[in-house]
Amino acid sequence: MSLLKKLQNSSLREKFVLVVSLVIVSSMLIISGYLIKRQNEIYHQELENRGQALVANLAYNAEFGVILESEADLNDLLKGVARVDDIVYAIVSAEDGRILAKIGIDEIERLNDYQDKAEIHDAPDKYTQRHFYDSDGIEYIEISYPVQTRRQQVSRENLGTVFGIQDDSYGLDTETIGTVRLALTTANLAEEITRSQTAAIILTIMVVFSAIIIMTAFVRIITQPIKTLVEVTDQISKGDLSKSVNISRRDEIGLLAESFNRMIESLKESQQEIEEYNRTLEAKIIERTRELEEAQTQLIQSEKLAGIGQLAAGVAHELNNPLGGILGYAQFTLEKMQKKDLNELAEKDYQSFKKYLRDIENQTRRCKAIVQNLLRFSRSSNKVEFTDTNINQVLEETLTFVEHQLVMNQIGLNKELDSSIPQIQGNPGQLQQVFTNMIINGLHASPAGTQMTITSKYLPPLGEFPGAIEIDFSDQGVGISEDNMKKIFEPFFTTKEVGKGTGLGLSVSYGIIKDHGGEIKVKSKVGVGTTFSIIIPLEKKAAPVDKAEIEK
Amino acid sequence: MVATSEKEILIVDDEEVMREFLSEVLEDFQVETASDGNEAISKMKSKSYDLIITDMKMPGVSGEEVVQFAKKTCPDSKIIVISGYSSLFSVGNTTRFGISAFLSKPFTIKQIRSEVEKSLKSSDSETDENEARNAG
Repeated sequence: MSLLKKLQNSSLREKFVLVVSLVIVSSMLIISGYLIKRQNEIYHQELENRGQALVANLAYNAEFGVILESEADLNDLLKGVARVDDIVYAIVSAEDGRILAKIGIDEIERLNDYQDKAEIHDAPDKYTQRHFYDSDGIEYIEISYPVQTRRQQVSRENLGTVFGIQDDSYGLDTETIGTVRLALTTANLAEEITRSQTAAIILTIMVVFSAIIIMTAFVRIITQPIKTLVEVTDQISKGDLSKSVNISRRDEIGLLAESFNRMIESLKESQQEIEEYNRTLEAKIIERTRELEEAQTQLIQSEKLAGIGQLAAGVAHELNNPLGGILGYAQFTLEKMQKKDLNELAEKDYQSFKKYLRDIENQTRRCKAIVQNLLRFSRSSNKVEFTDTNINQVLEETLTFVEHQLVMNQIGLNKELDSSIPQIQGNPGQLQQVFTNMIINGLHASPAGTQMTITSKYLPPLGEFPGAIEIDFSDQGVGISEDNMKKIFEPFFTTKEVGKGTGLGLSVSYGIIKDHGGEIKVKSKVGVGTTFSIIIPLEKKAAPVDKAEIEK
Repeated sequence: MVATSEKEILIVDDEEVMREFLSEVLEDFQVETASDGNEAISKMKSKSYDLIITDMKMPGVSGEEVVQFAKKTCPDSKIIVISGYSSLFSVGNTTRFGISAFLSKPFTIKQIRSEVEKSLKSSDSETDENEARNAG
């Protein structure tokens, strides 16, 4: 398992070399094993054949030596045989087992002990073949052959004329008179086999080594470009598309490198396209954002204009009243002055002139205050500056414009303004816009004869709460349905007739109060009335949090 | 300044400046003032006026109610409506509301004098006008 793992983790070259080496070694083992076995068999066979030929020859030539029981003749015969390789010993014995001659006496004695375990092997006719091993594990082959003679035909004249051909007609007449035993050693064979094995091992090692060298070189030729590919891929994965693979070959790796380079090229192109697209997209977004901002500014401006429009009637009325006084008194004064001689002005006339002029002055001041108030309302367009603001004062100023509308619609007004509230950081113009919106909304929702209550109160600091001003606008109007409640702060949502409202009032108000760090809460019950509560904290929070979040 | 001094006029306006100014302009007449609709109605209950000059927009009882009350209780009284709302009445539909004139603030002394004189004069010749209307 761990070996397999090791193999998996090794490099391509190592795997290659290992597999090829294994293949070479195993095939060499099989081949050389087979060859050695074959060599062994052939040698064995050859040795046996040689031994059989020799022993047959010996037996034939020993015929007369045995008959005569001539040890000298037999010894001469055996000495001639002893020169032959692989012969260990040779024994000629008579029919009754007496040994007539022998050579290799030492060996006969030495090997005598091992003869007990000898195995009898198949052998051709007349041969007896026994195999045994000495303590060194060397195999010995002992082949016996009978010494025979022809009884009837034995005569001094006939000797030497009979040759080894024995047909059946003779076989019946032959008589066994002794035995020749010849032992052969396979020591030389073992030596030969050891040499062959050594040669095979050396050859295998050489082949494996040269294979490893060739493999290494070959694998390097293959893996070198793959390494280059890996390096370039690595750089590409890090975003560097400047490199390309420099392999000019005609083989599969060359093709791979070529298509790899093509891939890098198309990657570069798509990256450029994406960058280009990103650039234009960014520009487009900036452009759209600018357009949206413009549209938004216009919308907010038009909401303000709509608000001003709603106020215009009230403003006109508000101005016309003092103007009526001014015009009247100015004309009245002029008229009186034209009728009378200025030198004869009675004290009474003088006093009434003074009163008229004072009235004119007062009414003019009133006009001025109204105009200033209106200006403040409309001026707060682009640059929003926060100053110390008295909420009650802003409420009163707002009411100068809209109070008459309440009166006209016969809606009673209750003011419950807490005179002890502290000043806040705010923009009076914007706040006036919000308050106007609240009052006009309530007014539009209220039937005649109902009451509107405007309350300001101070919520003192508590713990982390920095303290706040709460302004409530409560009406006894129709109320807001649950469905509409979710939408009232959405831009362009309106329940008023087309052309009567921009649908922006509350959303703009919401934005303004948000800019003041505050919030608008609504409580409403259909048929009972609605209360809008504006809560502005004394400490303005780090202002437009929303914008910062969007930018992130 | 001379002959019409017995004519009684009620001025209804929540603006004090307006009430004072009108009183002085119309000093040749018997002038009474009321600062809101309620006061005007209670005064009309006790007395019949030749001319009622009323503002339209007032807290509480509005000028409209004053006009309706006047037409109901003393149909002979002439009514002039003065208002800061110029769009409230156009010259064309004053008669439809049964009033003599509508003046939008600010108006000139000449305008108010001529409207007052016209209204009071027409009350003298009302009978003739009615006959003419019937004949028509």
